[in-house]
Amino acid sequence: MAWFRNMAKGFWALFSRERVEHEMDEELRAFLDASAEAKRRAGMTPEEAAHAARVEMGSPNAVKHHIRSAVWETVVENLWQDLRYSIRALAKSPGFTLVAVLSLALGIGANTAIFSLMDVVMLRSLPVDEPGQLVLFGSGRAGGSTDSLPNESWTLFSYPFYRSFSQINEVFSSVTAIKSIEFATHGTLAGGGREMLHASLVSGTYFSLLGVIPDRGRMLTEADDQTPGSGTVAVVSYAWWQRHGNDPAAVGKTVAIEGTDYTIVGVAPKGFVGVMVGESPDFWIPLSMEKEISPGWNGLENKWFQSLYLVARLKPGVTAAQASANTNLLFQQYIRGEYLGQSPSQKDLADVAHAHIDLTSAARGLSRLRRQFSLPLEILTTIAGLVLLIACANLASLLLARGAARSREFAMRMAIGATRSRVVRQLLTESFVIALLGAALGVASAWKASHLLLTMASHSAEVAAMNVSPDLRVLAFSLALTVFTALLFGMTPAIRATRLDLNTSLKQTRAAAAPSSRFSLARGLIVLQIALSLVLLAAASLFLRSLVNLSNVDAGFDKQNVLVFDLDEYSAGLPADARLVNLQKQIEERVQTLPGVHAASFSMFTFNQGIWSNDVTAQGIPRTPENSDDVLFNVVGNGFFSTWGLPIVAGRGFDSGDKIDSPTVAVINQTMAHMFFPNSSPIGRRFGLGNDPSHSRDIEIIGVVKNAKYRTLDESPQTLAYFPYTQRVQYFGNFSVRYSGEAGQMVPAVRSAIAQVNPNVLIGSFSTLTDLVDESTANQRLIARLSAFFGLLAAFLVCIGIYGLLSYAVARRTSEIGVRMALGARRSNVLWLILREILVLVAIGIAIGVPLALAGNRLAAKLLYGLSPADPLSLFAAVVMMFAIATLAGYLPARKASLVEPTAALRCE
Amino acid sequence: MGQRQGEMVQGTLEMLILKTLALEPMHGYGVALRIEQVSAGVFRVNPGSLLPALARMERAGSVKSEWRSTENNRRAKYYMLTAVGRKALMDETAAWGRQTAAIARILEA
Repeated sequence: MAWFRNMAKGFWALFSRERVEHEMDEELRAFLDASAEAKRRAGMTPEEAAHAARVEMGSPNAVKHHIRSAVWETVVENLWQDLRYSIRALAKSPGFTLVAVLSLALGIGANTAIFSLMDVVMLRSLPVDEPGQLVLFGSGRAGGSTDSLPNESWTLFSYPFYRSFSQINEVFSSVTAIKSIEFATHGTLAGGGREMLHASLVSGTYFSLLGVIPDRGRMLTEADDQTPGSGTVAVVSYAWWQRHGNDPAAVGKTVAIEGTDYTIVGVAPKGFVGVMVGESPDFWIPLSMEKEISPGWNGLENKWFQSLYLVARLKPGVTAAQASANTNLLFQQYIRGEYLGQSPSQKDLADVAHAHIDLTSAARGLSRLRRQFSLPLEILTTIAGLVLLIACANLASLLLARGAARSREFAMRMAIGATRSRVVRQLLTESFVIALLGAALGVASAWKASHLLLTMASHSAEVAAMNVSPDLRVLAFSLALTVFTALLFGMTPAIRATRLDLNTSLKQTRAAAAPSSRFSLARGLIVLQIALSLVLLAAASLFLRSLVNLSNVDAGFDKQNVLVFDLDEYSAGLPADARLVNLQKQIEERVQTLPGVHAASFSMFTFNQGIWSNDVTAQGIPRTPENSDDVLFNVVGNGFFSTWGLPIVAGRGFDSGDKIDSPTVAVINQTMAHMFFPNSSPIGRRFGLGNDPSHSRDIEIIGVVKNAKYRTLDESPQTLAYFPYTQRVQYFGNFSVRYSGEAGQMVPAVRSAIAQVNPNVLIGSFSTLTDLVDESTANQRLIARLSAFFGLLAAFLVCIGIYGLLSYAVARRTSEIGVRMALGARRSNVLWLILREILVLVAIGIAIGVPLALAGNRLAAKLLYGLSPADPLSLFAAVVMMFAIATLAGYLPARKASLVEPTAALRCE
Repeated sequence: MGQRQGEMVQGTLEMLILKTLALEPMHGYGVALRIEQVSAGVFRVNPGSLLPALARMERAGSVKSEWRSTENNRRAKYYMLTAVGRKALMDETAAWGRQTAAIARILEA
């Protein structure tokens, strides 16, 4: 109860401050009276007694201060007083406050925005049971399917291996298989329209292993994943369910997807988007249905069709080392038994010996985003950190100057009884107010900024839908950052400002100002800012130059005037045989007759979409390490090369003579021609896929085409072969059209032409080839833009810092300048006197900054194209810019100094 | 314990105040005077430490206060012991006894 009484009395006292103050005064007076009375009785005169009593007591204010500090509410009261005083003081210098708050807001906002991205992409754990027990087989670095035996850590596995392994392993309580790519398909909900669906194929153990509690209905079970084609059920995501009006009757409805009806058995809980960070499937469908979802994915019984990620939950008490040992033992047994034939080749034996499985933590899920963004995010985090540091240094120097300007005020306050700690506390409160305002503004803008960053970084709607709003962790991060910055930039100036010799401070005039140590700290801060912003400017010019290099890269193809449509041919309901080829030919021909269309073609890939690759053996060419590397492939229509503006440099392109029953042919690019046939014409030569010489006659080379980029603009020239789609029948998702005229008119014309041929072919979004190319450099553009933004921001802060420091120095040296001018100094001498000071600081800052920039830029090496991290031109540009900016910032105060009237300056004293 | 005469062992001031007030209600100066007299001038309590101690004790509930007239008809704040204070005095006196006895044994050993 004692604490309660204490609290209650404290609150009471807080709200009746006047009475409390009055009582304190009364008590002190009574004490003095009683004391003086006693002294009089002991024989002093009344005057002596009163004096002695006062001397004994000392300063009544100090006594009152001690009494006040005995009770807790005083702390609150002081805080409140400091707060009000700080706000008044800040309001009195709005310019300072604005600059301080804004620069901090930018620093804190940038850090918060980038941290929230970082948090979502790299740090957050999956919202599942005990995420720490989850492991992924391999790195998850590849997606799609492979039929090779990698001689390194495997990451893609076959369904038969998954089945066998999950039965015999001893270290995992459960194993689940997840198709390594998400399928974009179309479905029709009973009673609804056709819609685009993202489907993730998972084994029956998926939900039970993760410990997901259904929002309604049930999740998938082992029973759904027994025999191929048997699991016609689906779990829908909470977001999908929400988009369909939270329909309470959704469970039990059927959805037709590519000709198969699936019954919705349950809704996943809110916020659950699976284990792939950055993907948010609408449907989870049992792996047993993979052929029905996409006919090309038919690997349930094929051990060479390796397309699954495996995620497993460790049994309690099993260590990572034990799990790894057991997994690799079983894995080696399996691949030796299943993959190596009776007489394996030396290479296969060697590959198998190196094959293994690295178990990696899957606590934070699997993410391509993480791979794609981790380096950019690290760089951005560094940049944002530097910006905050510069903002802090800038504020510290502003506060130092402000503190020096207010030294008389502090001296006055200390003279009338404020303790130094009290003044320091008040100054720190001011810093905190600035920091809190900056943080509030920063976090508020980070809310928007992190989304903006995300959309700048990726055009994918799924990525853009990721929840990057700052959560409690992020807010905690920002709060910690705020407190840290407030202490960092507030403490030293506060302590410095109150380290006063009261006498001289009170008497101080401008004449007394001598260059003191206080100003070497201020100069140090300026040097620090210059050095750090040089690092940022150098990085920015490096990234900009790299981006320019990248956009000047010749992609090989002509990216202008090409539209790329995203479509779903499977929905036409045709089998993959001559009928499908016929449809494709009809569509191409119909679109080509449209006015303004020059050429049109289907293709397996356009640009930056993925790869299909294999090693090849050319007839009569011995295999060497160089020519054993994978060759990239594409499957295209007859009009592809003219659509993409790729000239045939030898032989011919595909034509109507290339049919399913005619000789198998290919067109290769210049790099492949040079790799395999450096001294002879490749036309008429043959090659085959794989390393088996008996297949090396399979495919005849009929032409050579100009080199073109396949995945990225910065890739080195790749060996590449094109096959005609008449000989590799498949469903396509890409349709390119070369046109002239308005893209806006072309799109509906192409859509309706396709619909006239077959209304069931679904046409999704479209983009220009230029956009596709630009998107492939989204990371580089993001970094270039942000680093340029932050670099300029930093330079701007430095300007403010230099301007502030010099203006203050000029104000303090006005009389000195007056004397100099009275003695005959010319205006240009004075200008130089002031400017010289700043140029020395800039020179020192640059001398420190250059090696820093060189060291820091090495971090960025991987993201640079066509220049070295030590690129002298970028560094030179940054140095020049820094000099220009600093001179500009210094010129104004220096000019002001040179305009001082000597008579006026001398009269100031 | 202290470098100067009259400096008090840490934490003993409140005990001395409690003991002083146990006799009768007193005002601030009265307490200071009584402590100085009884200790024969060894302890001089200045108002800068006495009054905060009284405020602290009042907040803790071991004393309570009341404005009364003094013997020469002036108003003063009188402090008196509460039940909590009485118990605190007993506890602290006992603890003090044990501590000094222990210290004495160590010094004599």
